[in-house]
Amino acid sequence: MTADQAKTRLPSISLSPKKTRAVAPSVSSVRKRNLIGYIFILPWLIGFVGLIAGPLLFSLFASFTDYNITSKMNFIGLENYKRMFTLDDMFWTALWNTLYYVIFSVPLTTAGAIMIAVLLNQQVKGMKVFRTIYYLPSILSGVAVYFLWMQLLSPSTGLVNQFLHIFGIEGPSWLFDPNWTKPALILMKMWSVGGGMLLYLGRMQGISPSLYEAADLDGASGFRKFFHITLPMITPIIFFDIITSTIGSFQIFQEAYVMTQNGQGGPGNSLLFYNLHMWNNAFKSFDMGYASAMAWFLFIIIMALTFTNLKVGKKWVYYDGGDDK
Amino acid sequence: MKKVIGSISLIVILLLSTILSGCSNKSDAASSNGKVVVDFWTFWGSETRRPVIEKIVDEFNKSQDNILVKHTFIPWGDIWTKNLAAVAAGNPADIVINDINSVSQRAENNQAEDLSKYIDQDTFKEQFYSNLWETVLYKDKPYAVPFTTDTRLLFYNKDAFKEAGLDPNKPPATWKELEEYAEKLDVKQDDKYTRIGFYPLFGGFGAPSWLKNADNGTGYLENGELTINTPNKVKALEWLVEWQKRYGKKTIQNYQAEFSNGQTNPFIGGKVAMFTDVATFYTQIRDSGTKMNFGVTTMPTFDENSKPWSDGGGFVAEIPKGAKHPKEAMEFIKYLTGEKAQKFWAEKNYDNVANIKAAESVLNGLTGDAKTVYQNAVDSMQYTTLSPVPNQYPDYQERINPLVESAIDGKITAEEALIEAEKDVAKMKK
Repeated sequence: MTADQAKTRLPSISLSPKKTRAVAPSVSSVRKRNLIGYIFILPWLIGFVGLIAGPLLFSLFASFTDYNITSKMNFIGLENYKRMFTLDDMFWTALWNTLYYVIFSVPLTTAGAIMIAVLLNQQVKGMKVFRTIYYLPSILSGVAVYFLWMQLLSPSTGLVNQFLHIFGIEGPSWLFDPNWTKPALILMKMWSVGGGMLLYLGRMQGISPSLYEAADLDGASGFRKFFHITLPMITPIIFFDIITSTIGSFQIFQEAYVMTQNGQGGPGNSLLFYNLHMWNNAFKSFDMGYASAMAWFLFIIIMALTFTNLKVGKKWVYYDGGDDK
Repeated sequence: MKKVIGSISLIVILLLSTILSGCSNKSDAASSNGKVVVDFWTFWGSETRRPVIEKIVDEFNKSQDNILVKHTFIPWGDIWTKNLAAVAAGNPADIVINDINSVSQRAENNQAEDLSKYIDQDTFKEQFYSNLWETVLYKDKPYAVPFTTDTRLLFYNKDAFKEAGLDPNKPPATWKELEEYAEKLDVKQDDKYTRIGFYPLFGGFGAPSWLKNADNGTGYLENGELTINTPNKVKALEWLVEWQKRYGKKTIQNYQAEFSNGQTNPFIGGKVAMFTDVATFYTQIRDSGTKMNFGVTTMPTFDENSKPWSDGGGFVAEIPKGAKHPKEAMEFIKYLTGEKAQKFWAEKNYDNVANIKAAESVLNGLTGDAKTVYQNAVDSMQYTTLSPVPNQYPDYQERINPLVESAIDGKITAEEALIEAEKDVAKMKK
């Protein structure tokens, strides 16, 4: 008997222990029990089919049509996809901008979060205060933060450039210079690594001190301890963090929508991200079919990446107490 | 056990039935006291605009025996997507205020009602500026009625003019004069500009507007034909590049960043001596408390022989497709765009309105700066063209803008940018 079965039988045992312990449940009572189960999850099922699975399949179908919400829905085969890959230059710009952002922001935020977690995992007085301070940016909500950063990154009056000025560096125009807009956003993302940091910190505190004590006895240096104990022990969190932040980074939208003029993906389309282009097609040109095709292509990219991550992950992720590792 | 299943299924059915009844259409006789209720959606929720529109609605309601207009405020960011969703769901408002440049798009996509059956077009259209009326037509039938409009003007700082030895009553009339004046108005302090005489891309007249101004009022598209790469547009773009070079990229970016938050205006703050904006900008100067001594004129012309072409936009009143009470809605639209309501709106909000008689009669009641600015706006109307979005090229602006920006940034030449832009837009034709 596995643990799961034991759990499901528990209530009936406690209700009438003598009768049911020996007798196998009849077919009708199993059915009845299943029915109750389904009735309990019915609200969720309705929500899932009506609000998630249904629209999802609908958009897959819409991606093969010229659907525009109000007047058209003709089947046009792969026309949308053809248009996307061969005619729409902005599609490629958007894809490139998004990839650039993912490639830089995911490793940088992951490394940043680990680094801060290590620093905050020391036994120093007042550590709780530091932890709170580093976590604080993560609790501030989106748009307010974007506006704050627009001021911080202002070329002549912003704090970032004034700080650089102290060292005699003339800072770039950040959000106004097409070459610096994406680095500016990545910099902004680095500021709120506190959320990831908290996960790493939680895991690090769960590492058994005996491992470090043993290493100390062997005379291991701080670096060795980090690379041979801490890092392997937090790989499950790194794995989780990379997968979720890759997906999240591909979906970048608000930043560009709020921080560029008229949400157009401003200077020279340097912040035209995939989702922004998709949104413009859907809600400015009302070309829902085309936008759906774009959405499904993004889905395929993210699926492929996540699948690769899961495959590769087996090779480097360490699970405590895992049987096959 | 049976009892439990019974009560659970009862609850589920109860829940389902309430959800389903929520989906069903509310009874069609949406009336109060036997009057037909017309649902009217606007994005005018501010302290200044809301009372004005509600006064207009009240006045109309008082005059009616069987129509009751109900005003609903929906925030600017939501109103048009909400309208679209409502049209798709078959349950839209009866009237919605929408953007003028995209009327034909909505007409083609079955999102708005054809209004020709409710009006006599020939006499009705006489009330409005003809460029506005043309924009609401789709296949010669009106799908909306123009409500407000705007046009860009050149504001200039008279004190700065005096300081630079220029005649404050003689603003620049051509592009060439603009350059000469700007040079005199620049103030530089150790390599840094403390005042910029003029930079064409600050303010309300963007690159597309300047290209239009140079090209006899022709925008990127004329009657469905692409007119992006024309000799005059190339010249205009080159001219814009020159300005960027003159002040330097850094100066311009610094200025842009400083004023991008919208809290301070570079013209009112004295950082820029000449500035383009819509007539309503006057209220911002008036309310700034700076007692600024300013002048205003129609847009400078490309050369001595061309006209002061300007760029405009505006809003329309429209009946969404599938509205329940189109006839009653049209009654209110007629009142809303008629002389009386339009004059009231224009006076209270200092806004340009679509009704010619209303616009002209507002002028009589104004004095001083308010009158000068309004007069210039009315004068500018005949040289103002709109930029309707054609159905074949719904996102043409988004495709052209980045290339124009690249040219101004100096990455490609003006000609390359416009050739490429025309190719790009043509490629995506529907």
